[in-house]
Amino acid sequence: MRWRSPTRSGFPPAGLWLAPAGIVVALIVTAPLVEVDVARLAGAPRKLVEFLGHLVVMPDWDYLPDLWQKMRETLEMSFLATVIATALSLPLGVLAARNASPHPAVFHAVRQLLSVMRALPELVWALVFVSALGLGPLPGIMAMAFVTVGFMGKAFAEAIEVADPRPVEGVTALGASRGQVLSFALLPQAMPDLVGTTVYVLDHNVRAAAILGLVGAGGIGYDMVMAMRLFEYERIVLIALAIYVVVTLLDRLSDRLRARLIHG
Amino acid sequence: MKRPDDAGPETSVPAIELVDVGKRYPNGFVALAPLSLAVPAGQFLGVLGASGAGKSTLMRVLNGLAPATSGEVRVGGVTLGPRTQRAIRARTGMIFQQFNLVGRLNVMTNVLTGRLSHRRGLPSLLHLFPRDDHDIAHEALARVGLVEKAWERADRLSGGQQQRVGIARALAQQPNLILADEPVASLDPVTSAEILDLLRAINRRDGITMVVSLHQVDYVRRYADRVIGLHRGELVFDDVPGRLDAAALERIYGPRRAAPPEPADALA
Repeated sequence: MRWRSPTRSGFPPAGLWLAPAGIVVALIVTAPLVEVDVARLAGAPRKLVEFLGHLVVMPDWDYLPDLWQKMRETLEMSFLATVIATALSLPLGVLAARNASPHPAVFHAVRQLLSVMRALPELVWALVFVSALGLGPLPGIMAMAFVTVGFMGKAFAEAIEVADPRPVEGVTALGASRGQVLSFALLPQAMPDLVGTTVYVLDHNVRAAAILGLVGAGGIGYDMVMAMRLFEYERIVLIALAIYVVVTLLDRLSDRLRARLIHG
Repeated sequence: MKRPDDAGPETSVPAIELVDVGKRYPNGFVALAPLSLAVPAGQFLGVLGASGAGKSTLMRVLNGLAPATSGEVRVGGVTLGPRTQRAIRARTGMIFQQFNLVGRLNVMTNVLTGRLSHRRGLPSLLHLFPRDDHDIAHEALARVGLVEKAWERADRLSGGQQQRVGIARALAQQPNLILADEPVASLDPVTSAEILDLLRAINRRDGITMVVSLHQVDYVRRYADRVIGLHRGELVFDDVPGRLDAAALERIYGPRRAAPPEPADALA
C-alpha cells in the first residue's frame, strides 16, 4: 500500500513535520543549559518519596481556624483583584479588538500596553508594589489586578475578534452607532468567552494569591512559606489540601456557569 | 439639507437614484461598472445576475456598507455620504441571505435593534427601549406571524422563521426602502415563496420600495415590477419581467455551456 497526503505534492504539509523537527532540535540544543542530567533524574524518585513521607503526618488541627482566616483573606484578595481587573479589561479589550477599536493606532497602543502588563509575573509586580505601598494584601491585590488586566484584556479582545461578522453587518446596516453595534452584536457573541475567561482568571488568581505571601503581599502564601522553612509538615498538608479544595470547587463552578451561558 | 425623514413616499422623488455609480476594489477589480438608474418609490425591483456579477455590491453601495468609489447615490433625494449615511440607513431596511440576526439574543431584542437608529444614548446601550418601541416591534412580529416566538433565542428558529425575524427587524425601522440580498437563497421552495409573498405584501400595502436580488428567474417573473440584470459588474438589462426572453437571459448569464468563470469572478 502506498501512502499519500491529500496535498498537491503528496507529501505532508511542510509545517506539519518541520515544527516537530524544530522542537526536537531545540530540545537537544537546550538540554545541557538546564542541566538535564539522567543520573540526577534517576536519584530523584527516592528523594521525592522521602519528602512525601514527611507529609504522612497527623495534621495540625489547632491551626484550622487560622487557616480558615488566611484562606478567606486569600479568596477575598483574588476576588477583589478579579473584579477590578474585569472592570478595567472590558474597555481595554474593546479598544484592543481589531473589529471594535476606533482607530488602528489605538488598537496597537492598547495591545502594547497589555503586553507590558503581563510581561512580568505577579510575584515581580508584587515586589514592586510592596516596596511602594508597604506589606499587606493591598500590594498583592494590585499586583494580581495588574497582570490579570494584561491577560484578560487580550483574551477579551480575542473573544470580540472571533465574533461572526454577519450579525455585526446586520446591526450596522440599520443605522446603529458604534456603541450599539458593540452592545447588540459583538458583546453578546463574545459573552461565553468573556465569562469563561473571567472565571478562569479568578481560579488563576486564587493560586497566584497563594504564592504572593512569599514577598509579604498577604494571603495564605506567607503561612505556606513559613511552614516550609520550619518543616511544619502537619501544616503544609492542611494548606495544600485547602488550596486544592478551593481550586477544584472553583473549577466546577466555572464549568457550570459556562455551560449555562452557552446553551441557556 | 433635506433629511430622508422628510422625503417620505412622495412619488416625485425617486426612492433611489444612481448617477454613474461604480465600485472598484483596491486590487483593481471592478465589482460594479459605472451605472445610472432611478427607482421610483413603491417599486418592486428584482435584480438578476450570476454569482459575483455585482448584485451584493449594488445592495451594499445603496446603504454605504460598501461605499461607491465613483458617482453619486441618492436615497429619497438625499445624497449618500459619511454625514447622511446613518440617517439613510435608519430608513433603509436590509434583509440578508444568511439572515444576519444575533443568534444569542432573543427574537424580540433582534426586532428591537430596528429601533436603534432612532434611539441614541445610554438606555439603548443597556438594551432598554421605550414602550412605544416595544409596541412597534410587537406589531412587526405580528405582521410576520412570529409573536409566539418573541422570547426564544433567535438561533433556535428555523431558517424560514429567522428570515421572518429579519423582515420584522426591517419593518421595525419603519423604512421607506428595503434591500433584500438573496433573501431566499438558503431556503426551501415553499418557504421561499412565503417569504417573497410577505415582501410583496409589504411592498403593496405599505408602499415600501423593494430591491430584491434573486437567483431564480421564475420568482422575478412572479414578483417583480421591473428587473435589472448584471453581468460581470455591468448593467445589461433593465425592463419589465415580461421582456425576460432567452436573449435577455443570455446577456445576463452568458451563453449556455460557456467556459468556466475566471477565478476573479468566482471570488467576487
